[in-house]
Amino acid sequence: MSTNPMHQFEVYRIGPEISLGSVNLSFTNASLFMLISAATILLLLFLGTKKKLLVPTKIQLITEMSYSFVAKMINDTAGSKAKPFFPFIFTLFMFVLFCNMIGMLPYSFTVTSHIIVTFILAAIVFIGVTIIGFIQHGIKYLELFVPKGVPVLLLPLIVVIEIISYLSRPVSLSVRLFANMMAGHTMLKVFGGFVISLGLLGGWLPLGFSVALTGLEILVAFLQAYVFAILTCIYLNDALNLNH
Amino acid sequence: MKNFKEISARLEIAKKKIEKNITKDKSSNAASLGKALKIGTELVASVVVGTLLGFILDGWFDTRPWLTISFFFMGVGAGILNVIRSAKNMNKKKDMENN
Repeated sequence: MSTNPMHQFEVYRIGPEISLGSVNLSFTNASLFMLISAATILLLLFLGTKKKLLVPTKIQLITEMSYSFVAKMINDTAGSKAKPFFPFIFTLFMFVLFCNMIGMLPYSFTVTSHIIVTFILAAIVFIGVTIIGFIQHGIKYLELFVPKGVPVLLLPLIVVIEIISYLSRPVSLSVRLFANMMAGHTMLKVFGGFVISLGLLGGWLPLGFSVALTGLEILVAFLQAYVFAILTCIYLNDALNLNH
Repeated sequence: MKNFKEISARLEIAKKKIEKNITKDKSSNAASLGKALKIGTELVASVVVGTLLGFILDGWFDTRPWLTISFFFMGVGAGILNVIRSAKNMNKKKDMENN
């Protein structure tokens, strides 16, 4: 049995090796769990919208709740102009949420604990928001980097600082999700290892910690998906309504 | 038809209960924990991005280490700016909720 707490993050190949030129495109356990999350979401939404009852069943209730939760979040943070982007933000929220939650199951793999996954998600948001900003405002979108009422002497410095602050968005977005998921799962594994090594006599305390941490991790899993989605809304708001 | 009336009466009661709960624990919801977790990474990310940008530009202009150093400090400035901005946003939202 492996007691290395980082062992759970290992990516390995399932099935044959597929490569396209010099790029390795093999099917890994990460791809498997992404597919499982996507399939679970599709199944939930399919079952929830199959029979539209006046008094909803539990699955229909969950589906409707997640819909209205995301719709309210977009309306509150980005306004009614952001309504066309609902499908994207809903997909993003559900995917991150289900990746996090499925990662909480024993013997599963947490896709979002790898920075490349979260960084690609954040990069899609970042590039998309930048393109939307330029489509909406044209070259005037660059005014985002020039705050009003700054002395001309300070302007070069402020513009550089604003550009750094804009470029830091995808980094902070991806690192937050990745760091929270990885730290939490490592901690769970470390306390699990303590239970084994301390045995029947002293293992009860770390076991209690493990149980408490699992609860905390489920909260964090939801919260990080929420933060990811709400920050996407905030960035979208910046691009749609150009104001500081 | 009687069934519908009963359901709507029960819905009204349930809605009132929900409203009561919302007004009670508005200050201690999970969203504020999310905001708290958000701020820390915002500060760090700007510093990292600034330093990295300086390092890359140093490579282009062959001026190591001066751009790295100056961009590091500008990254710190950007990080502080980010934190102040998100804190301001939170205050604005809170004021709107109170009014």
